[in-house]
Amino acid sequence: MKIFSESHKTVFVVDHCPYMAESCRQHVEFDMLVKNRTQGIIPLAPISKSLWTCSVESSMEYCRIMYDIFPFKKLVNFIVSDSGAHILNSWTQEDQNLQELMAALAAVGPPNPRADPECCSILHGLVAAVETLCKITEYQHEARTMLMENAERVGNRGRIICITNAKSDSHVRMLEDCVQETIHEHNKLAANSDHLMQIQKCELVLIHTYPVGEDSLVSDRFKKELSPVLTSEVHSVRAGRHLATKLNVLVQQHFDLASTTITNIPMKEEQHANTSANYDVELLHHKDAHVDFIKSGDNHIGGNSREGTFKETVTLKWCTPRTNSVELHYCTGAYRISPVDVNSRPSSCLTNFLLNGRSVLLEQPRKSGSKVISHMLSSHGGEIFLHVLSSSRSILEDPPSISEGCGGRVTDYRITDFGEFMRENRLTPFLDPRYKIDGSLEIPLERAKDQLEKHTRYWPMIISQTTIFNMQAVVPLASVIVKEALTDEDVLNCQKTIYNLVDMERKNDPLPISTVGTRGKGPKRDEQYRIMWNELETLVRAHINNSDKHQRVLECLLACRSKPPEEEERKKRGRKREDKEDKSEKSGKDYELEKPWQESERLKGLLDREKEELAEAEVIKDSPDSPEPPNKKPLVTMDEIPPVEKTKGPMSLLSLWSNRINTANSRKHQEFTGRLNSVNNKAELYQHLKEENGMETTENGKASRQ
Amino acid sequence: MPTVVVMDVSLSMTRPVSVEGSEEYQRKHLAVHGLTMLFEHMATNYKLEFTALVVFSSLWELMVPFTRDYNTLQVVLVTDGCLGIGRGSLRHSLATCNQRNESSRFPLPFPFPSKLYIMCMANLEELQSSDSLDCLERLVDLNNGEGQIFTIDGPLCLKNVQSMFGKLIDLAYTPFHAVLKCGHLTSDVQVFPRPEPFIIDEEIDPIPKAINTDLEIVGFIDIADISSPPVLSRHLVLPIALNKEGDEMGPGITDDTEDENSANQIAGKIPNFCVLLHGSLKVEGMVAIVQLGPEWHGMLYSQADSKKKSNLMMSLFEPGPEPLPWLGKMAQLGPISDAKENPYGEDDNKSPFPLQPKNKRSYAQNVTVWIKPSGLQTDVQKILRNARKLPEKTQTFYKELNRLRKAALAFGFLDLLKGVADMLERECTLLPDTAHPDAAFQLTHAAQQLKAASNGTSEYAAYDHNITPLQTDFSSSSTERI
Repeated sequence: MKIFSESHKTVFVVDHCPYMAESCRQHVEFDMLVKNRTQGIIPLAPISKSLWTCSVESSMEYCRIMYDIFPFKKLVNFIVSDSGAHILNSWTQEDQNLQELMAALAAVGPPNPRADPECCSILHGLVAAVETLCKITEYQHEARTMLMENAERVGNRGRIICITNAKSDSHVRMLEDCVQETIHEHNKLAANSDHLMQIQKCELVLIHTYPVGEDSLVSDRFKKELSPVLTSEVHSVRAGRHLATKLNVLVQQHFDLASTTITNIPMKEEQHANTSANYDVELLHHKDAHVDFIKSGDNHIGGNSREGTFKETVTLKWCTPRTNSVELHYCTGAYRISPVDVNSRPSSCLTNFLLNGRSVLLEQPRKSGSKVISHMLSSHGGEIFLHVLSSSRSILEDPPSISEGCGGRVTDYRITDFGEFMRENRLTPFLDPRYKIDGSLEIPLERAKDQLEKHTRYWPMIISQTTIFNMQAVVPLASVIVKEALTDEDVLNCQKTIYNLVDMERKNDPLPISTVGTRGKGPKRDEQYRIMWNELETLVRAHINNSDKHQRVLECLLACRSKPPEEEERKKRGRKREDKEDKSEKSGKDYELEKPWQESERLKGLLDREKEELAEAEVIKDSPDSPEPPNKKPLVTMDEIPPVEKTKGPMSLLSLWSNRINTANSRKHQEFTGRLNSVNNKAELYQHLKEENGMETTENGKASRQ
Repeated sequence: MPTVVVMDVSLSMTRPVSVEGSEEYQRKHLAVHGLTMLFEHMATNYKLEFTALVVFSSLWELMVPFTRDYNTLQVVLVTDGCLGIGRGSLRHSLATCNQRNESSRFPLPFPFPSKLYIMCMANLEELQSSDSLDCLERLVDLNNGEGQIFTIDGPLCLKNVQSMFGKLIDLAYTPFHAVLKCGHLTSDVQVFPRPEPFIIDEEIDPIPKAINTDLEIVGFIDIADISSPPVLSRHLVLPIALNKEGDEMGPGITDDTEDENSANQIAGKIPNFCVLLHGSLKVEGMVAIVQLGPEWHGMLYSQADSKKKSNLMMSLFEPGPEPLPWLGKMAQLGPISDAKENPYGEDDNKSPFPLQPKNKRSYAQNVTVWIKPSGLQTDVQKILRNARKLPEKTQTFYKELNRLRKAALAFGFLDLLKGVADMLERECTLLPDTAHPDAAFQLTHAAQQLKAASNGTSEYAAYDHNITPLQTDFSSSSTERI
């Protein structure tokens, strides 16, 4: 249904003239006496509704169903006509609810039977209805503003439902002529106005209602085109329940509704709480919810029509939900529903069950006995929807598993960490507009994208690519550094984390460095720390442009990890070697302690290369016969920065400056591997020859065949 | 969309084609050549497509059936445009298609969404010399204009047949390649079946919308919160490794050459974001919201077909600012870190979804409907039941009474107010001796108030006026005693 079809604007014009105060002559027993109290008491006489009451409650029922199923963009304007027209509400969305209309109707009250019938007429209302159809709705306004110069493409159609008591067929014709003429006049007016719109199409539904038992003076007539703009149809309906039934049929026609009856709903009996019986509940919804039945021609439309109307309903069977587990169904449509009999006990039991958060699957009854779940009833935020589940077989059946595709053989993805990442990047609605510092409107979704960008600046996908994310000790820093802004407390926590790491290094605590892909027994402890520090630096550097506080964290990190010059490192190495001897048993790892110094250097180079892979700058072949293909990707800002040689004392301006320049340059190009691995700017060439000749040969051979 | 290839094998298809200096070809051979090309393309680049082959002349025969049922189809009709003569010919069928009855209606349009591609083993001039082209165009028109006619450019030869089928492949069988992004984490993917452009059914701007080739994740939502949303279509998101030439080394390719096998193995060993994402979505029970274009979103989730095989799937929501009412406007969704406090709670025990609509629906707000007498009777009975339990049920008694009063005033049903007032007065006289004295006071008070309202006395008949319980000494002192 297009937005601006006739159903966008519905005007109700209800006759409020004296004769509408007449009884509909259909009695309602309201004094239902309970058996054991009836002795000697005569029940009160039944009462009957007036034509007015019947008209109003039927039109309210029409609105109820419409608002339930189309809470937006389908608007009603209610007009009451006697000696003048009383417009009870406007087209604005705030006015579109039952409470508003009920309050306005109460203010009008029932028609006064003693008023002068000569000055009362339905015509006042019909004229007002045409006038109100020319008024623009907020949706039309919005669409026109959006289209600017093409504003005339926004349609203005509407429907007038007029409930009255006409005197004769010629009286009806007079009403039609009046509407026709008024449209003509008002379209002329609207043509010269910016606030009004010409009526392109108007559907007049005249309902003549009369007391039960009387003969109708007006004959039914199907829809007829009176002019290119106006069509009209006449319904002659007895008041009381008949009028309500007619309006129920009309609301279904006007809004393309269809009916579904949920059958076999188990419900506790009111009187006997321990027994349950099966009930049926009829729901209305947009007819697209039945589109699959229509397509397949397989409609099991039951003849379950009530009160002999033509109405057809599709019967679906309730399937008692077994679990409360959340499942993602393949759903091709979801349509709001409205119970036909909203206050009946079965209806309210069903709707309350759903409103409490349970979902119900619905099954197509089939003769063959095969079970096909075709629909699901579920509530979302106090609204109940009929979900259409796809029951036809899918072309996506039996697809290849993700483990068969790219990256499918990798087994150490950081699944849990990414789960945590996803939870941190969940979305939430921000209903109140927020503004940026420059006064422009801030779009929350853009903020969400922004956050994802920040959180993924350095995010290794697999466990063996990272050290810091495998360390509990790094968490306090890693979790806050990605933030847009840091508090002083955050900075403090980061610094604490860094001190803690320094402490760990001093104590020579083991690190969770992966040995996957490395040859030999894995790197030495101090090499591990170097890797860890480099990675941590990569992470922090990726965020230094966020704020000065981020910069402070980096400064702290650089200051703390500063390494003594090479000679001292060598001395330290010797010292540490002794330490390690003590700890080697404790850590459960034995190191080849007496390896020559060169070997250690070689390892360092090897590890550095690995680290590069981790930074995703470039995949470097471990050896010429390695099967890994280079997978070149553009250099990103968080690429690894060659560790800056630090002196112990306070930094000179020159070193600060050159660090800065180096940092900036290093973002622009990929550092040569040789230079990265160099010792005192001297790189050893053809290292692999040495390896192949040396003790590593066999291991190398093994590795390449893996 | 699955494909049915319908091939003309009538005698006219065996007409020879003169190709200089080579062996003789028939039109049939050209058709076979073109179809071979199409099938080869599918086998490498569109391998999840399913096809069936039907041949026809005056009768038809299903050569290769589908293995599955489908909702939608693409039909590739291969013919030379010789439509035959007399009864049963296309020309005759089209001319009489309005005279058919319901049981033997003309097969077009198909009862499901479909595209009809007609591959003519003839060139345009040849077809235009008769009314064949018109008839074929009628077929496409009958299929709601969905489809296209292809003819051979220039003389009939293998090369020109190839170029014709090449055009079909470009139109209907190009794989959809995209880049899936989550901040800096990215993966090259093929989206299968390829998403077709979507036309919004609005009168204002019916321009078809196509999805971006950059699929940008904007955030994540729990499966319980997204709760089985309606979607336009579903697609597999398959990670692919693009090599230098830009050809894909697609998912699960089973080429015989060892080179490609090892290439696949290597691709399998390179960490891929899709696999990470899929794994975490599956474990956490979440979906990723992905932006497909301006005001168009979808979701990524793990879809398991059997217990073992699962894959990354993408569903497309209907384009628009608010595809799911329970999530609100998509643009208004932001990161939880921007909220004052975590809307999911510190223990992950609550959720900001679903959004509550401003107005409650009728079934959630206890509306009054008296169309059926039983509706009215139930409401009156409720009042009576509570009246008999006064003063304990004073609050509910007045609540129900006011509800009935409001509805009666709105419907202009003043007789009902009088009737209920009479009934309450009668109840008063029927009170047993043991009744609390307050009961009589409240009943009388309520009856008076209803009567006043039924007379239309302005103050008492105001819609917003509520009948409040009578303040009696009994009730106040009794509450003190308690």
